[in-house]
Amino acid sequence: MSEHRPTVKTYALTWGILLALTLLTSLIGLVDLGPFSLAVGVVIALIKASLIAIFFMHALYGSKLIRVVAAGGVAWFLILLGITLADYLTRNWYPFAQR
Amino acid sequence: MVSASSLALRQQFNNPAQQRETVTLGMWIFLATEVMLFGALFTAYSVYRIYYTPAFTHASGEMEYWMGAVNTAVLICSSFTMALGVHSAEAGKKRLTVLFLLLTMLIGCIFLGIKFWEHYRHYLDHKVPGINFQEAGALGPREQMFFFLYFAMTGLHAFHMLVGLGVLSVMVLRVVFGSISREYHTPIEIAGLYWHFVDVIWVVLFAIFYIPGAHLR
Repeated sequence: MSEHRPTVKTYALTWGILLALTLLTSLIGLVDLGPFSLAVGVVIALIKASLIAIFFMHALYGSKLIRVVAAGGVAWFLILLGITLADYLTRNWYPFAQR
Repeated sequence: MVSASSLALRQQFNNPAQQRETVTLGMWIFLATEVMLFGALFTAYSVYRIYYTPAFTHASGEMEYWMGAVNTAVLICSSFTMALGVHSAEAGKKRLTVLFLLLTMLIGCIFLGIKFWEHYRHYLDHKVPGINFQEAGALGPREQMFFFLYFAMTGLHAFHMLVGLGVLSVMVLRVVFGSISREYHTPIEIAGLYWHFVDVIWVVLFAIFYIPGAHLR
């Protein structure tokens, strides 16, 4: 068990940053950013999700195999999302393909 | 005399480190399948959000925004206490581990309480598809799709919270009755991974359901 682990200080700092980001995203949400409202919210959410995965879940503290599995989960989701949207977003590109 | 730690080492493993690595890897693979489970719903949300953008933004304005924001902070606090619980288990501090696990469960219950209250208020507002959904105007049916996804995804998330509470209850018993020790605390770590994962899902749910229409409130 000699592997490197986060300290209590690291956990507390992560917690503080996560709370600050939650406040930030809640306040930005009140501003009308038009189509960017969702985009900004999701970007901040992904930063928070990464912080939780890295520091609370030790994603980068474990073996390389675990990193590959974690990255694989994300990659497969992006395949699901990407191929599905490639269908739905392109359905109106040609007049003969109208829904 | 057989110690608890040697009992905890199953015969198929060479040493505790190998067992720990294997179990942790197994949990990450399980979490990857959970990404697929929620991923299908996130994909459904993306498609309908793109097709029904105005309706989704309008319906999002009907969320209980600050309850959602407070709940996000609540769940982040529970993740912090969970991390401290795992940390205490690694250090072999049993009482502290139990304390942090119970604290995590308490905060988890607060989250579920707020979530239930929120769902109940949507019910009173006639916003539950299939039970009492009412929305005047041309966008009504499209807003119903937003609320359908909202209840499906926050409901599935709340179910995961309940499972997490069950897992943590078992962990508390295992620490109290001694099958968890400084030498063998992997189950606490695994339970922690699950709890943090459920937190990650909520962080994204908050962003996609509450934020897009928050300025309309």
